[in-house]
Amino acid sequence: MSNPVGLALTILALPLLASVLAYLMRGTARTARLAHLPLVVGCGTAAALALYLLTTMLDGTAERVSEPVAWFAAGKLRAHFTVTVDALAAIMLGMVTFIATLIAIFSSGYMKGDAGFARFFAVMSLFVFCMCGLVLANNLLLLVAFWEGVGLCSYLLVGYYFDKPSAAAAARKAFLVTRLGDVGLILGVFVIWHACLPGMSPDVPFNPLNLSELFGYVVRHPEIHSQVGLGCFLLFCGAVGKSAQFPLYVWLPDAMEGPTPVSALIHAATMVTAGVYLLARCAPLFAVAPGVQIAVAWIGGVTALLAAFIALAQTDLKRILAYSTVSQLGFMFLALGTSGAISPAFAVGAAMFHLFTHAFFKALLFLSAGSVMHAMGGVIDVRQFGGLRRVLPVTHVAFLCGALALAGFPLLSGFWSKDLILESLTEASESGSPYTAGYFALFLVACLTALLTAFYTFRAYFLTFWGPERIPHEAGHHAHESPTSMTLPLLVLAAGALAVGIVLQPFTHWFTDLLETTPSLAIARGPTPARVVAHHLNWVLIGVSTVLALGGIGLAFALYRNGGADKAPAGLDAVFAASRNKLWVDELYHAVFVKPAEVLAFLARVFDGFLDGLARLISSAPRALGAWARPIQNGLVQFYALSMALGVAVFLTFVVFRISR
Amino acid sequence: MTITLWHFLAVAAALFGIGLVGFLTRRNLITMFLCAEMMLQGVAINFVAFARYHANLHGQVFVLFILAVAACEAGIALALFLNLYRRRRSLDTSDWQELRETGVPAATDDDPLPRPPADPMPVLTPAGARPAPTAEEAARV
Repeated sequence: MSNPVGLALTILALPLLASVLAYLMRGTARTARLAHLPLVVGCGTAAALALYLLTTMLDGTAERVSEPVAWFAAGKLRAHFTVTVDALAAIMLGMVTFIATLIAIFSSGYMKGDAGFARFFAVMSLFVFCMCGLVLANNLLLLVAFWEGVGLCSYLLVGYYFDKPSAAAAARKAFLVTRLGDVGLILGVFVIWHACLPGMSPDVPFNPLNLSELFGYVVRHPEIHSQVGLGCFLLFCGAVGKSAQFPLYVWLPDAMEGPTPVSALIHAATMVTAGVYLLARCAPLFAVAPGVQIAVAWIGGVTALLAAFIALAQTDLKRILAYSTVSQLGFMFLALGTSGAISPAFAVGAAMFHLFTHAFFKALLFLSAGSVMHAMGGVIDVRQFGGLRRVLPVTHVAFLCGALALAGFPLLSGFWSKDLILESLTEASESGSPYTAGYFALFLVACLTALLTAFYTFRAYFLTFWGPERIPHEAGHHAHESPTSMTLPLLVLAAGALAVGIVLQPFTHWFTDLLETTPSLAIARGPTPARVVAHHLNWVLIGVSTVLALGGIGLAFALYRNGGADKAPAGLDAVFAASRNKLWVDELYHAVFVKPAEVLAFLARVFDGFLDGLARLISSAPRALGAWARPIQNGLVQFYALSMALGVAVFLTFVVFRISR
Repeated sequence: MTITLWHFLAVAAALFGIGLVGFLTRRNLITMFLCAEMMLQGVAINFVAFARYHANLHGQVFVLFILAVAACEAGIALALFLNLYRRRRSLDTSDWQELRETGVPAATDDDPLPRPPADPMPVLTPAGARPAPTAEEAARV
């Protein structure tokens, strides 16, 4: 069992097994009530195994890549089922399975009594399986397959309440918008494969789809770097779709139509970080394309600021968190984008560390929001409730921990990871890269975003838990704290959100030391003339981000401690309206993309109707002929016999006279 | 006068023609069936005549087949007629118009066949039950 590949495959198999079991348990009402057990047990076991896998990563001697098993082959294209186990994958596996276990426990309370209980857990398990496969895949096509798998599960879970039109529309939107990016992803895979074709020959067992073989080849062959750059850009398009970056972020806020545990697991902690993971995994490819790197950084920066701005005035608690997720993902891309200027290991380390801490505190925030929603009878609009501190004491503490971590309150996990990203930006702006001015501008953007983040997070906090106590009538008279199965995961995650940052990184460097044992990061370091940055505590930055966090919290306290979600700061009404209306991006997309598509669809329908009419016209001729001849069939035997006799007579006459002539 | 092939053929044609006319004009199922048999025999005579004319046995073999098939056909047909009769108490073919096209009105019969009196079917004693004793038997016991 100490073989990492065997461990990884076991971790991969457990959620799949749980999914099948949960699906089979739908059968009877008695087993359907217990359908959460496969996921909780399977995922818990997987989390324990993943933890053990992390410890085996520390000595770094064991086998890393599994034997390739042929999946399919077409001409020169060979898709293999093969997994790679390194520190990067092990960290992701541990995070995914751990968070998924907690969320499974939470959902067993949250979804209790729902009609689709077993279906929910079957799809959740399937999602965990696909996510683990995505993390482990060593073959680009395998990665694409699991990438689509998580997209499918996201679609199924966003549309979980499929009889609700808004949920069905949100699921469709999520699927279609990410599909736009996925086209880029698969094109990128083929561009990269095509660029590496010269390296393939019958006597060399080189498969450019296998990441572990691809990276070394790309680094050794500078002549294909321009093509690989194009491929990287297309891969990044896939990441933009899946990780909800500008301009494809619009699906994520709508995806909040799904049940809250789904938002916590898929749309905050795991699936939306798949894009970040893809870029981290393919760091050696991006390292040879500095032009794409700066594009990544700018997209990340624009998204971070835009989403944070929109989050300022939203009224739906889950949507505030969704925009915050978009914004934080932007932060991660900002960090990834600096790897052209500084050591890729540092940049990827910053992004992955933020991904890791973000998974804890954002899952915590979503689950707390779910707990609020549970107690408020499904109401999630912050205008309709307030002052819930005494009604929901545990949820209040948990939400506060998550909010402090997200806002970057000093010493909490979000503070350290955000600090690492800011540091990577400052280092990049002082490097020898041609884009230093751009990196400095992005640093300012990130600082502004950090301020806004602290502000909108605490706006949501104050509106929900402070001010006069207001409970919507949907909650009835029994607004109460959630059951233990829901509060326990909250407390575990809260402890994580508080401690995981300070334990793992700023003083011990455990996280980045482990991450840097990843072979692909060592390969990525090769070709870039980047400066190597040592991890150290930058006191100036720590001071700046402390001021930003406290400033944002203070502003929110000054404005919203007594509730009043519609209250705009004096003189900023126009800005407030712009934020409330999401900068009219949805309306713009509707006018520019959806409307023309609808017109096109309408024209196509008209043309289709025309074709249908034509076909019906043609088919009506034989029908009319039949209607004319049909009364001959009158059911009288003699009539039939006579017709036959006459017919034969006519035929014979014809034959006889023809022969005799 | 020698009997040539033409004589045989004339008899066969006459049999066939009579059968055909009978089949087309009569409505009684059994009569129609007999007419059909007559047409078959007309054909069979043709075969025999040609067999003799060509001095081989091909035609005779066919006739044997026709006889065998006609015997089977008679068995099946008469069984069917029996069932049809039990349904409607009539052998009139114009009683059976259900297989016409939907929407076409049924042909009305201006001159229906006379119906036989509806005699009750004989009632048999159920097997295994002791018959009720007659008065004479009851007196004897």
